[in-house]
Amino acid sequence: MISPAQAWVTLSQIVVTIAFAIGVAATADTQNTTDTRGNAHSLVVPTLIEQGKASGIEHQYTGSWEFFVGGGGAAFDCNGDRLPDVFLAGGESPAALYKNTASTGGDLQFERVPLDLSDRESRSVTGAYALHLDNDRYIDLVVLRVGRNLLLKGDGDCGYSKANRRFAFDGGREWTTGFSAVWERESHFPTLAFGNYIDQSAPGSPWGTCHENVLLRASNSAKGVGRSSVDGDSSKPFEEPAYNNAIALAPGFCSLSVLFTDWNNSGEPALRITNDRQYYRGGEEQLWRIPAHEQPDLYDTSDGWKRLTIWGMGIAEADLNSDGYPEYALSSMGDNMLQQLDPEAEEDQPHYQDVAFDQGTTAHRPYEGDDSKPSTGWHTEFADFNNDARIDLFIAKGNVSSMPDFARVDPDNLLLQHPDGGFVEAGALAGINLPTKGRGALVADFNADGQLDLIVINREAPVSVFRNSGVAEHWGTRPLGNWLAIELQQPDQNRLAIGARVVVKTGNLSQTRTVSVGGGHSAGVSGFVHVGLGVAERASVRVRWPDGKWSHEYRVFANHHVVLQREVADAVYWYPDTVR
Amino acid sequence: MVGILKKKRSPLVVFGTGLLLVMTASADNRVPWAEVTTALGATGELPSGRLGKRALFSLNDTGEALFEAQFTPLDGAGRPNATQAIIPTKSRRPREHALFRTSGPDATACVSCHNQPVVGGASDFVTNVFVSEGFNQADFDSIDPQFSNERGSNHLMGAGLIELLAREMSAELASIRSQALMDARDANTAVRRALTTKGVAFGYITVFADGLADLSEVDGVDPDLVVRPFSQKGVITSLRQFTINAMNHHHGMQAQERFGLAVTGSDDFDEDGYRNELTPADVSALVAWQATLEPPIQELPMDEAWVAAAQRGGQAIADYGCVECHRAALPLESLDFHDPGPLDLVGTLSVADVAEPAIYDLSLMYWSDTLPRNEDGHVMVPLFGDLKRHSMTDRKNNQLGNEQLSQRFVDRTRFMTAELWGVGSTSPYGHRNDYVSLIEVILAHGGDAKASRDAFAAVGKEAQLDVVAFLKTLKIEP
Repeated sequence: MISPAQAWVTLSQIVVTIAFAIGVAATADTQNTTDTRGNAHSLVVPTLIEQGKASGIEHQYTGSWEFFVGGGGAAFDCNGDRLPDVFLAGGESPAALYKNTASTGGDLQFERVPLDLSDRESRSVTGAYALHLDNDRYIDLVVLRVGRNLLLKGDGDCGYSKANRRFAFDGGREWTTGFSAVWERESHFPTLAFGNYIDQSAPGSPWGTCHENVLLRASNSAKGVGRSSVDGDSSKPFEEPAYNNAIALAPGFCSLSVLFTDWNNSGEPALRITNDRQYYRGGEEQLWRIPAHEQPDLYDTSDGWKRLTIWGMGIAEADLNSDGYPEYALSSMGDNMLQQLDPEAEEDQPHYQDVAFDQGTTAHRPYEGDDSKPSTGWHTEFADFNNDARIDLFIAKGNVSSMPDFARVDPDNLLLQHPDGGFVEAGALAGINLPTKGRGALVADFNADGQLDLIVINREAPVSVFRNSGVAEHWGTRPLGNWLAIELQQPDQNRLAIGARVVVKTGNLSQTRTVSVGGGHSAGVSGFVHVGLGVAERASVRVRWPDGKWSHEYRVFANHHVVLQREVADAVYWYPDTVR
Repeated sequence: MVGILKKKRSPLVVFGTGLLLVMTASADNRVPWAEVTTALGATGELPSGRLGKRALFSLNDTGEALFEAQFTPLDGAGRPNATQAIIPTKSRRPREHALFRTSGPDATACVSCHNQPVVGGASDFVTNVFVSEGFNQADFDSIDPQFSNERGSNHLMGAGLIELLAREMSAELASIRSQALMDARDANTAVRRALTTKGVAFGYITVFADGLADLSEVDGVDPDLVVRPFSQKGVITSLRQFTINAMNHHHGMQAQERFGLAVTGSDDFDEDGYRNELTPADVSALVAWQATLEPPIQELPMDEAWVAAAQRGGQAIADYGCVECHRAALPLESLDFHDPGPLDLVGTLSVADVAEPAIYDLSLMYWSDTLPRNEDGHVMVPLFGDLKRHSMTDRKNNQLGNEQLSQRFVDRTRFMTAELWGVGSTSPYGHRNDYVSLIEVILAHGGDAKASRDAFAAVGKEAQLDVVAFLKTLKIEP
């Protein structure tokens, strides 16, 4: 709960910025805002309270040109308490790991924990993603750097040790800014994709000198018995991955984000890459066909791929219309894209149309202030911030550094989806309209109260830590809509079911979430899948597991964390520790 | 959601084909003979704080007027473009008729069904309603048993006491779970605890040090351990939730807190030209009136033979084991009825949604002094129930399992123990109101009630009639 004084300040800000239009009258429980067509919508707006330094996180992403991009991190559970902990890239400053110590529904609280990295290794970090690399119980980290990337093996208590040699991972020398992972069919270990930016060593750099991107498939490296902690059973034989066979994804076009995605609902992942037109020559956005155990193959115009050139910064996917085919939000400078398969295109052709204007997600200029120059978008993420059962879109914004043709003050966007299906800007109403230069972001429920919080990694400024406190009232705050937090579990391998699809049904509404690692901008979240339920008290959940097999129906009650274990009949409820 | 505290009867301006229509309470609607419900909006602001006798009785008067009102199109009755679903759902096509016997709206007033033997009572088979998830196929299919279940109308007498019991039981179950979780975390081990509240056993919960819970032994209550005391299935949490559901389903009167702007983006979700048809304050008036309804009583007849038979019957239901589920009374610690309550989720106003809930002090009601109390001073609510769901069928006796649909995740063979208070005034019986005699419905019991049913079946006709004699003393006072 925020104090009445805080709430009043928030309300006062809201009142000042209310837009009024004939036909819709805001109530005290909603706020009016207008979409890009000038239509008024009245929405429940979450109150995001910046807790910054008070949260215990003191961190900045800093550095010269190489760190104008990047600036991500990972939210994941490093110690088995199911609360998301945080790893933050620092650029020229050291990266940092923070353990989550928040109480349920309380202020966001973190404690810094040491990283077992050399000073050199902890610097030049651009981003990170968390996943299980070796199929033990403890989640690992992939750290992206300007220079050698790192694989860090977790010990279950927020301890991480470098495992490049152990997993036969060279790490490369590239300027890495993107990452994604997927378990290909019949693979024991994840396939890793690294997105690389500019090759500074090439003649003529930086113009037209983009690094190739890299795909790494693991070969099983038998290690025998007794050295692993798989399931805590030291007598179990085990295997570990060996990432010593890099496959170049050429040509590279200065990628800033990559994402494995099942674009055609085939069960076979493809790799979506967004590229920065600032530096490539003849480049475009890319989609790679990744047939299991075969060579990757780039989709081109003969496959129906439609050429698109943007300053691609970040990727997010969501199946907005629950048709089984994801839509993609691509951040850029100026117009941001919202891509949807063209209904007129032939079947199984990746022919996308941009529906950002129709849907109100162009977010091409700052939504407040006098600066009408184009915006610069970075991290993009779909999530339901107000639990109204309509997924919203967050875009981190901020000038690259001092680019004069782009807005200098460029607040982050919170585009709330309204009942008609489009989106409207609510960043200022929610309170995230800070004059920072956002890069990566972590959207997760850090205090386990069912309301998504937000951490934004800013360039040359402290990290913003926003607690979602619900709906502001003159007497305090009240809850947003109902919600569900779903953890998927598989035994033995791909424990977090990366690649699974979760379908949550309430009434006539089906909402789809895909469990993925990658995308955004150098940042991603592992853990509970959050779904807003609106006014529904119950939900039916079905899972398409990564191997394509559908689960039975799980029947669960709203406002709970549930764990769905493969082959287990009932959902297991989880209760966060209320006293910490 | 508490934002609109005053009923808004502001004009809804509809532009279409150059014609400006203003749908509002015009001057004509304020004449005494106008076809509008004057009690709508009469409550003004959402009640809060402890209500004194005068304020509570005034609120009850409004609630009673709303319960008895025949809602008209000028009130916003009807839902041409919305279904009866509890989650706001648009119909696939505009409805051809204002009233539908199956998917509703199927009544013009609450009292159309809840009237036996008094306002707030039960009803005959003829007023059965159809419950289903009620989404957009329901206009055609709801009478088909694969799409809906049929339900008789329960009485509401003593409903406030029932909800208070359920709240206290839910709180105790949640407390048991919380303590078990703390103990498991402290001892780093699994902890198994009995889920027993007010003497009613809801199975066991096992929790682990990491916060996971094994709910496989939970019995008769949902996994969230919320005792939902209303409806034959035990799936409705509160009078407030029941009111909002029913007002939409049966009358097409849509409550702002479920169907309003904050949820649906529209203040006229059913597109009948009337916005904010029921304000939170209107709902509170209805809740207050229902919550303060006098509970049924045991009324002994003048006939001494009947009294003697009833005494034997009362003893017999104990001997047969009927009272294992039909508990004669459950203790209630507090008569303070908070509205909104603590257990509703978003979509029904809850205590978390308001600055200060209203408190309806049931001890202000004239009937409260007649309730027995135990040695701890707790009111003994004579409900003859346990607020727990049980299996009602077995392989040999499937009479009460005559449905094809589960309801809100509750298996089709499981039902909440019917409270027997008032049973002497509310024939017919059973969840479908299709048993006209008490002996029939007793013999229809199976499953968890098999032993008791068999014991009853094994005795002679005269002994069976003793039970009937007893049950017929459990009356709703006319």
